[in-house]
Amino acid sequence: MPAKYTRNFCIIAHVDHGKTTLSDRLLEHTNTVAMRVMTAQHLDSMDLEKERGITIKSHPVTMTYRAKDGHNYKLNLMDTPGHVDFSYEVSRSLAACEGAVLLIDAGQGVEAQTVANAHLAFGQKLKVIPVINKIDLPSANLELCTRQLEDILTIPAEEAILASGKSGIGITDILEAVVARVPPPRWTEYPQTRALVFDSLYDSYRGCIAYVRVFSGTIKAGETMVLMSTGQKAEVKEVGVFMPKMEKIASLGAGDVGYIVSSIKNTADVKTGDTITNGARPATEMLPGYKEVRPLVFCGLYPLESDDYEKLKAALGRLRLNDAAFVYASESSLALGFGFRCGFLGLLHMEIIQERIRREHDVEIISTYPSVIYQVIKQGGEEISVDNPVNMPDPGTILEIKEPTIRASIIIPNDSMGDILALIMEKRGTANHTDTLDATRVMLHCVLPLNEILVDFNDRLKSVTHGYGSMDYELGDYITSDLVKMDIMINGDPVDAFACIVHREKADGRGRQLCEKLAEIIPPQMFKVAIQAAIGGKIIARDNVKEMRKDVTAKCYGGDISRKRKLLDKQKEGKKKMKQIGKVSIPPDAFIKVLQNN
Amino acid sequence: MNGLAQAQAKASVAPVPLGLYVHVPFCASTCDFCAFYQMQPTADGVERFLAGIGTEAAMVDWTRPVTTVFWGGGTPGLLAPRDLARLADTVRARCGGAPREWTVELAPASVTAARLAALREAGVTRVSLGAQSFQPMLLDALGRQHSREQVHRAYERIRAAGFASVNIDLMFALPGQTAEEWAADVREAVALAPDHLSTYCLTFEEDTKLWVKLSQGRVKLDLEHEAQLYEATWAQLAAAGYAQYEVSNFARPGHVCAHNLNTWHMHEWVGLGPSAASQQAGVRGANIADLEKWLAHVGRGERVTEDRVRLTPAALAEDALIFGLRMNAGVDLATWRARAPEAPWPLVEDMLATLAGGALLVREDDWVRLTDRGRLIADTIGAEVMAAFEPITETA
Repeated sequence: MPAKYTRNFCIIAHVDHGKTTLSDRLLEHTNTVAMRVMTAQHLDSMDLEKERGITIKSHPVTMTYRAKDGHNYKLNLMDTPGHVDFSYEVSRSLAACEGAVLLIDAGQGVEAQTVANAHLAFGQKLKVIPVINKIDLPSANLELCTRQLEDILTIPAEEAILASGKSGIGITDILEAVVARVPPPRWTEYPQTRALVFDSLYDSYRGCIAYVRVFSGTIKAGETMVLMSTGQKAEVKEVGVFMPKMEKIASLGAGDVGYIVSSIKNTADVKTGDTITNGARPATEMLPGYKEVRPLVFCGLYPLESDDYEKLKAALGRLRLNDAAFVYASESSLALGFGFRCGFLGLLHMEIIQERIRREHDVEIISTYPSVIYQVIKQGGEEISVDNPVNMPDPGTILEIKEPTIRASIIIPNDSMGDILALIMEKRGTANHTDTLDATRVMLHCVLPLNEILVDFNDRLKSVTHGYGSMDYELGDYITSDLVKMDIMINGDPVDAFACIVHREKADGRGRQLCEKLAEIIPPQMFKVAIQAAIGGKIIARDNVKEMRKDVTAKCYGGDISRKRKLLDKQKEGKKKMKQIGKVSIPPDAFIKVLQNN
Repeated sequence: MNGLAQAQAKASVAPVPLGLYVHVPFCASTCDFCAFYQMQPTADGVERFLAGIGTEAAMVDWTRPVTTVFWGGGTPGLLAPRDLARLADTVRARCGGAPREWTVELAPASVTAARLAALREAGVTRVSLGAQSFQPMLLDALGRQHSREQVHRAYERIRAAGFASVNIDLMFALPGQTAEEWAADVREAVALAPDHLSTYCLTFEEDTKLWVKLSQGRVKLDLEHEAQLYEATWAQLAAAGYAQYEVSNFARPGHVCAHNLNTWHMHEWVGLGPSAASQQAGVRGANIADLEKWLAHVGRGERVTEDRVRLTPAALAEDALIFGLRMNAGVDLATWRARAPEAPWPLVEDMLATLAGGALLVREDDWVRLTDRGRLIADTIGAEVMAAFEPITETA
C-alpha cells in the first residue's frame, strides 16, 4: 500500500476522558482484534496503568479502514503515555504521528492535561481533531465544551466531532476525519532510511524490541542498522507490525509503524527519540527532537529486610531493562544499611517504580525523602550538582545554591482560589496569572520549586479542591534560593537518612517535626538520648528519647536459669538487629516509620 | 594476699555449696499466672512420684552433703503427712546430716497442723507461704483457691509449729490493682512480721490464663505503673526493717534464703522430680516436664534430659554476672576473673563502664552492683552482659 494511504495518529486525552473505550470502538469498527483482548493477553503485568488510568508503555496498533472515498487506508493508532513525567516520551510518540484526536469529556470539559497535551500536539505540528466524547451523558455540556475549545485551545468549534465511545456514536465520523484531515506521512522522500524509535520493550528471549515509525526507506531482516545517537551498529533480525499482536512481515516501509528485533539485548542502548538508519547507506541527519533523558527526582531505596538486598538489586535490574529513563546506583546508609540511589523522571515515575518493586518483585522497600538536583556554586566559582543531601558541601564553602522550578498550570474551582493561593505561598511558589475557563473554573499559572511538590502537593491540591483540582507542569528554570542542609543527630551523631535540603525558613518547623517523631518512635533507651536538628553545627530543634523504666523479670529460681537465658538471648539477638547509632539502639523499622510518616 | 590468691584459697577450703530442689508437681487447681509444671493429684500418681524420686536420687552422684533443700511445685503441701515424711526420708538419706536450710512451699489452703508437724519432724526449717494477696477480689482474679482468713490462719499455724524462718509470697501489678491496694497488702504482710518477704511483680508467662487475657487485650501492661510499684515496695519494706537482697526478695537480718543465693551465685544444685533443673559437675539441664515421661526416663536410668548444656568457666562467669547483678550485693569480679581468665574481660569492662557512666551501676574496687534504676532494668542489662560475653560463647 503506497504511503499516501497511510495515516498515523494518536488519541490524547485527560485521564478518564474515555480514551480506551474509544480506541476499542475504532478497533471493532475496523475489524481489528479488540485492544482489551490484547490487554488481557499480553499486558497483565501492567495493572498499575489500568489502576491509575495512565499509559506507561506504548501499545500501537495498525488498522485497515475502507473509507467512503472507496480506498483502503492503513491507520496506525499510537498510544501515548498520559503523564507529565513522561512528557518527552509523549513528544516522541506524537512525533511519530501526523495527527491527533483530542478527546474532551462532555461532562468535564477541558482539563489541565488536555491543554498540556494539545499544546504538545501543536508543538509537533500535528493536525488536531477535537472530539467531544460521552455526549450521551446527562451531564454533558456541549456548549461549554465548544466554547472552551475556541477560548482555551483556539480550535474552531465547527471542527469538533460529537461522539460516545460507550454507545458507538460518531465512530465513523472520527475514522473519516482521520483519513480526510490527517495528512499522509511526512518526509517520505528523504534519500536514506530513517526511522524514529518511540519506545522499546525488553523480551527475555529476543532482547530489546524497538518500536519504530519509519519515515523514509525500508527496513528488513538481515540488514545492518545504525542507531544514530551513538553510532552503534546491529543486525536486524526481524521486523513486524502490531495487529495488535506483534506480527512478523518482510519489511517496513515509509510511513509504517512497527517493531524491530535486532542483535541488541539491552534496552538502554535503544533510546527513545533516536533515529535508526541503514548501515550500508546511512543518513547523515537524525530526525529532529532527540534528547538524552535525565532523571529529575532522586531518592534512596532500601530493602525493609536487609536479606532482600539481592532481590531488590535483581528487581531494579529487571525494571531498568524496560525503562531506560530509570537509573540506579548502589549506596549505603548508616541508618538503613545497603540500598540504591535511584533517579526518576518525576514523582509519578518514582511512585510507579516503587509500586512495581513491591508488587511485581515482591520486595518490601523503604524510600528516603526525595530530592531534586541542586546546582551548588562554591567559593571560587566551581559549580557542582548535588542530588543527595549527604553530598552537600560544607556550608562555609558554598556561595549559592540553585534549585529547579516547575511552571505549573492548575485548574481549580473558583471557590478554591484562596486555599490554592495559600498552598502555593506555603510551597514557596508565585502565582503568575489566571485564565477563566468557565463560570466555575479557572486555570492558574504559577512557578513552584520542584522540591516543594515532591511529597504531598498533589494530595493537598486534591484536598483543598475537594477532588476537582488538576495540575500539569513543565520544567522551569533554576533559581537561587536560601537553602540549607539540615542534619538530624542522635546523641550527637548525624543520621544520614534524615539529612535534607530545606529552605531556611522551613528548617525550624521540619526540624522540630522530625525530632518529635523520632523521639516518639525510638523505643525507651537505657540512657538519656537527645535528638537534635542542626544546620551547620547550630542546633535548631531538640527532643529526648524516653528512658527505659522497667525491664526486669520478678522470679528467678534455679529452674528459671535456662529459660531466662533464652529470653535474654532473644533480647540480645533483637538488639543485634538494631541499628547502633553510638550507644543508642534503634529498631530497623524506626527510621522507616519516620520516613513513612513524612 | 591478692584477689586471685584469696579466691583460690577460699575455693580450696570450703567446698562449693550444693542445693537440692524437689519438684512436687501436684496442685488442686491451676492459678491464672502459673506456668510451672503441675497436675491434679491421684493416689496412684503420688505413689509413683515418690517412688520415682527415690529412683532418681539413687542415680545422682552425691559428691558431698547438700547444704540447702527446697521443695517447690506445684503444692508440696498437697501431699499427705505420711507422704511428706516419706519424701523427707529420701531427702535425708542423701543429705549426710541435716541441711543448713530446708524450705517447703505451702499454699494457705493446705496448711494443717498434722502436715506442719510432719515437716517439723522431718527437719524442715523454713516455710514459704504463697499468700500472693490479701484482697479477696484479687485472689479471685488470680484464680487462687484461698481466702484472706485462710492466709491468716495458715500463718498462725506455721508460727505455732515453730519453724526457724517464715516467708510470705506476695504479687503486685495485678490486673485492676491500685497502688494503694498494693501498699495495703504489704502493710498487712508486714503486720504478721514474717522473717522474709518475696514480692513478685506479675509476669505474664506464656501458656497461662493471664497471658491469654493479655493477648486478647483484656488486661494491659503499664511499665510505668509497675516501676512505680517496685519503687514504692522497696521504700515501704526498707522502712519496715526488711533489707532488699534481690529484685524481689527482702529479709530481716539472718533470714536470707540460702538456697536461692546458692543459685544466683552459680554454685551447684541437684533437681529431682519432673521439670526440676540441675546444675552440677559442669552440666546444666532439666528433667522432662511430664510425670509419666519423667518416670520412664528415671526407669531407664536417665535424668537431666532437657536443655542440657555443658558449662565452661566463662559461661558460669557470664551467668554469675547476669543473675548476680539482680542481687543488691552485686558480684565480685575478682572471683570470676580467677575462675575464668579466658572470658572476654576487656569487653565486659567496657560494658560495665558504660553502665556506670549511665548511673545504672556502681563499682567499688572489684565489686559491681546495680543502682535502683539499674535493678529495674536488670533484664536489659542481662542482655548487655550476654552480648559482652558473646565472643566466648560463640566459640565455646
